[in-house]
Amino acid sequence: MVRDEQSRVAQRTPDAGEVSGLHGGDGSAWDAVAPPWDYNPSEWRQRVPICALAGVAFFIATYMALYQWRLIGSVWDPVFGEQTAHVLDSDVSERMRTLFGIPDAALGALAYLGDAIYGLAGSSRRWQYRPWMTMLFGLDVIPLGIVSAILVVLQGTAVGAWCFLCLVTAAISLTLVWLAYDEIWSCLLYLRRVWKRTRDPALLWRVFWGNPSAAADQVALVKE
Amino acid sequence: MWPRTVEVMLGFWLVASPFIFRHEVPAYWWNDLMAGFVVIVSSLSSHSHKLRGARLVTAAAGAWVLAFGFVSPRPPPAALQNDIVVGLLLLMFAIIPNNASLPPEGWRNPRPPA
Repeated sequence: MVRDEQSRVAQRTPDAGEVSGLHGGDGSAWDAVAPPWDYNPSEWRQRVPICALAGVAFFIATYMALYQWRLIGSVWDPVFGEQTAHVLDSDVSERMRTLFGIPDAALGALAYLGDAIYGLAGSSRRWQYRPWMTMLFGLDVIPLGIVSAILVVLQGTAVGAWCFLCLVTAAISLTLVWLAYDEIWSCLLYLRRVWKRTRDPALLWRVFWGNPSAAADQVALVKE
Repeated sequence: MWPRTVEVMLGFWLVASPFIFRHEVPAYWWNDLMAGFVVIVSSLSSHSHKLRGARLVTAAAGAWVLAFGFVSPRPPPAALQNDIVVGLLLLMFAIIPNNASLPPEGWRNPRPPA
């Protein structure tokens, strides 16, 4: 269905006095190289691995949440044995559960699912066309990922027990940060260029929420 | 359009929840049945281009269900933990616009307005 719509868009005749030659109706023009990189960080080849990895972390976190809900009776750990159960039933974990109402692993699972679905949402040029969505994805992956990785390690030291699967998810979180930051960076630099060119807060606001602007489009592909 | 379809399924899950978790409080029953019904209707409507704004109703229902589950005794009973999880999921999906894989409509045109 999406493919149909894309080819329909592609069939439109380009406007004679086109702004930058990027909107000539050629669907592949959405795959423009985004400064400061020499590739497109929003293309599917860049994004799908992030979603797949986040999906793996989602399953691991869900598994640990199932134990915390006692829907399963024991939890697998090939390295630290019983220590995983100590971590998942620790006071720290109980306090988090009292605060949020659901087990912390369930919250983590939802955050990883968020990484995956916001990774999938948006066109292959969302760094320019939907900054808000790119930022939402970035907020889920980067600050949340770093904080959760720190919490996992702290939990290991505070509880005095280690949890193999928690460490795996922490490693995945940090890998996701590394895989995702290029797109966020492109988006931030683009917004900065729009601001420097126009000095118009209202326009910047509209561009952030995905409204088209010729002035913004002119600086979209400019390398600084 | 996949977020809209997932929302429909979450709506049906809400309607089924009282029977699955055997809610003990009548208010929990009514909350899940009504919210589920609202979500099914709004997310089905938002498949239509004209009614695409209905996803905001889905988001509002998600926020309601989340708040209903969150403001509860600790530890929350299964019924309310389910509300927290489903509310978060609904919010997460309802943020995504229709046809999210395409650029926003204005940017699809050959020439963006000034």
